[in-house]
Amino acid sequence: MRILPVKWASVLGLALLAGCSQGPDGPTLELEVFQLVQQRVASIGGSAAAAVERPPLTRAALDTVEGPYIEVTVENRDIFAYLSQQLVRRDGSPGEIVVWRTEDNITLALRSGVLVATRGLGDDILSASAPVATGKPGPVTGGARSYQIRGLDNKTQTLVMACSLLDLGPAPVEIVEVTYPTRRIQERCEAQNSLVVNDYWVDSRSGRVWQSRQWAGPTIGYLRIRQLTI
Amino acid sequence: MAGAFTSAPVSAQDPALNAPSFTPLPAPSLNFYGSPGLLDMPSAEMQPDGQFSVSYSWFGGQARYNLTFQALPWLSASFRYNGIQNLSTTFSTYYDRGFDVRARLWREGRYRPEVTMGLQDFAGTGIYAAEYFVATKQFQAPALGFGGATGRVKLSAGLGWGRLGSYGAIGNIGNRSSFTPGSTGGTLSYDQWFRGDFAPFGGIEWQPNARWGFKLEYSSDAYVAETQDADVFERKSQLNFGAEYQATPRTRLGAYYLYGSEVGVTAQIQLNPFHPVRPMTVPAPLPIVPRSDWAKTEADWSRNWAQSAESRLTLRDQLAQQLEQDGLILESLEIDSTRAEVRFRNPRYRSDALAVGRTARVMSRILPASVETFRMVPVRSGMGLSATEIRRSDLEMLEHDAHAADALVAVAGIGGAAPLPDAALVSPGLYPAFSTSVSPYSAPAYFDPDQPFRLDLGLDFKATYEPAPGWVISSALRQRLWGNVKNGRASNSKLPHVRTDQVEYAQYGTTLENLFVSRYWQPDHNLYARATAGLFESMYGGVSAELLWKPVDSPLALGFEANYVVQRDFDQRFSFRDYKTFTGHASAYYELGGGYQMQLDAGRYLAGDYGGTLSLDRVFDNGWRVGGFFTLTDVSAEDFGEGSFDKGFRFDIPLDWMLGKPSRNSFGLTVRPVQRDGGQRVHMPGRLYGQIRDAHRASLTDQRARMWE
Repeated sequence: MRILPVKWASVLGLALLAGCSQGPDGPTLELEVFQLVQQRVASIGGSAAAAVERPPLTRAALDTVEGPYIEVTVENRDIFAYLSQQLVRRDGSPGEIVVWRTEDNITLALRSGVLVATRGLGDDILSASAPVATGKPGPVTGGARSYQIRGLDNKTQTLVMACSLLDLGPAPVEIVEVTYPTRRIQERCEAQNSLVVNDYWVDSRSGRVWQSRQWAGPTIGYLRIRQLTI
Repeated sequence: MAGAFTSAPVSAQDPALNAPSFTPLPAPSLNFYGSPGLLDMPSAEMQPDGQFSVSYSWFGGQARYNLTFQALPWLSASFRYNGIQNLSTTFSTYYDRGFDVRARLWREGRYRPEVTMGLQDFAGTGIYAAEYFVATKQFQAPALGFGGATGRVKLSAGLGWGRLGSYGAIGNIGNRSSFTPGSTGGTLSYDQWFRGDFAPFGGIEWQPNARWGFKLEYSSDAYVAETQDADVFERKSQLNFGAEYQATPRTRLGAYYLYGSEVGVTAQIQLNPFHPVRPMTVPAPLPIVPRSDWAKTEADWSRNWAQSAESRLTLRDQLAQQLEQDGLILESLEIDSTRAEVRFRNPRYRSDALAVGRTARVMSRILPASVETFRMVPVRSGMGLSATEIRRSDLEMLEHDAHAADALVAVAGIGGAAPLPDAALVSPGLYPAFSTSVSPYSAPAYFDPDQPFRLDLGLDFKATYEPAPGWVISSALRQRLWGNVKNGRASNSKLPHVRTDQVEYAQYGTTLENLFVSRYWQPDHNLYARATAGLFESMYGGVSAELLWKPVDSPLALGFEANYVVQRDFDQRFSFRDYKTFTGHASAYYELGGGYQMQLDAGRYLAGDYGGTLSLDRVFDNGWRVGGFFTLTDVSAEDFGEGSFDKGFRFDIPLDWMLGKPSRNSFGLTVRPVQRDGGQRVHMPGRLYGQIRDAHRASLTDQRARMWE
């Protein structure tokens, strides 16, 4: 190769740094990788996004919040988010479905307080059966429970578990300065050599699951969910 | 899918039983030939299904680069490139390529060991040619160190022929001719398999925990060519040993002492299509709001809106805007009071099922309550590829069903797309479309004995102009910034130099990579057509026509392609060389099920040779693709030269598999052990089958998990 004149080479160098595409066609592979590397480099230069400190919540502050919110913590990543209520609906199956959404487009769907779907977390639960009854909070029976999880090569992975339901008795739960008179209901589900334990703190008078710890699939693991405002 | 889930620790509360997990079980460690095994000797283990491993080993002046694919749970295939220093006087380093295949005969039982049969270097010039039967039994062993995982001991013993029968032979079957460096090779040497002396080998691998492994083996390889005929290294012992360390979940490193005189190392990288580097994450869609929640009065269900052209245009524009939020492009809307058909382009997601699902959601948000039937038509190159018809009530009812994906596919109708009706409201401003990009490129060249790997790096300036649906005018300028492909070897081919003049082409740094105009259309139901004229690729220009028959729900597709091509000048601008030819093929594509795709092409190749190509690929639902091909033509092995006939393998690793976010790009590579002139085809941009299959029934239903994503 002939040596490029300096001017030509610097134009090329600039183009390489810019690495750009326009129009309806998506970027090329090289460009996409290149842009990704740029983003990574930029994020190293920026402030190290350390684990976000959990802001101290007070009931007085929560009382100023409008609309229902839940707080969700992903246990094995130690990250959390506040989710607002996006949709309440019913379908042909028992229970009431509530879809909760984060500001960065992650949703959880709970049927009468039982987690039946996640979106935007990766390897999501596409759908799940829920042992619920209309008008009653939390799971009401044991038996078979099926999870459809999108994972591995982006296919549906079906997991059917045999569950038993245990009432562990009164277990009042405190959520930001308020104590609710709840019972702890435990759902133990087994399949092959694995075990999933879901816990629900259920207020039978108000018909509400105030707090729960539920399994959200193999990659996400357990979520801790608590109802901050109603 | 049975066996998809494993158990891994999730909760400290229940140490005995863990939650289901996708974490893969540890894969068997590899030997110096890239197959599961000890150091130089194989074991009977198989890798997990789909495993794609890349390994490097070195000892005593011998380097081996291995690529192994577990094509079926009981069958694996390997490709190897190896260099041996000081093997012969003609080459300072002797390079060779070889293929291995291994088949498990039976699994491990309670008392019975796993048994595998292997053919090593079975089709090359055969320097590593060997055949073997090997048995392996695994035992639990006491744990060492932390982590609580129990240790493992694997005992292997086998009987080898060829190279693996060259030390300590205990018998022989027939005769086996010796290895001759420099022959053309490439043909199956089946008359030699399991012939000649056979000798026992064996060894033990101890893995005290998940990180460390220790190996000890007795080798039955005397390294005759290396230590007796030449002086590559000195062999003093048949006992080899070493230690390995799992540095990351995908990398394992090893250091060894071999043959009483040599230090060796390995590096093993194991990828598995089923286990993405990052789990695929797509921003959550907006949930479907059933009409019963918002259409409560008689007026909400009125059909009068359909009379108004203005309200239909408003709907079209709202749809286009909402689809854009999901990265999709609205091509057209056809709507009446109860039915709607949306045609859209999908430049963002690999999965067309996902794009169809997102489109259906957008339709349910925008369209008036009286529209009950939705049809989603993915469009590529102006062609409607399929039509998925879903009732809106089903969408509303099934989103939170326990088996949402299966239930939706059960009620969805997937058929062919009708021609675009005259009444359709076409999105304004889509055509003419102009796209440009500046992007880096890399162009590697392999397996030159002087320098096995060469590379060119530079920039591509690409522009595409689409004046109307189905029309594409595209061009790419290439500026090399650095490279050494131009220092390669000149061709010694006896055939017309249809592919082997790549070094001549590499002499030029500023080139016109391509410049062509293509037209795509659908002449009839199930038929797709392409016509292209211009400079197709760096070496050829001309005219080309292709016709493909592919019903949406058929596993079979038939295609026909005819090209008249002229070889381009080495400078790759607008001039041509004297060589011109007709080349064309009749092709049959068949989906064998389980992700296996077969393609058979028969016709005339670039050098004027007649013959056929058989390709077999395994395609995963996340876009991974691994396959191989070979071509037999009427060119004799002698005229063809090294390798005797054209063959190779290819793979595609999706970028989204690595990033965990949507992309349609992938790292693809086609590797031929030897690039010759027989059995070569022209590289045609935009061939039909690959674009069309993705949006057809098999692909959509296989990926139904993604419809709701």
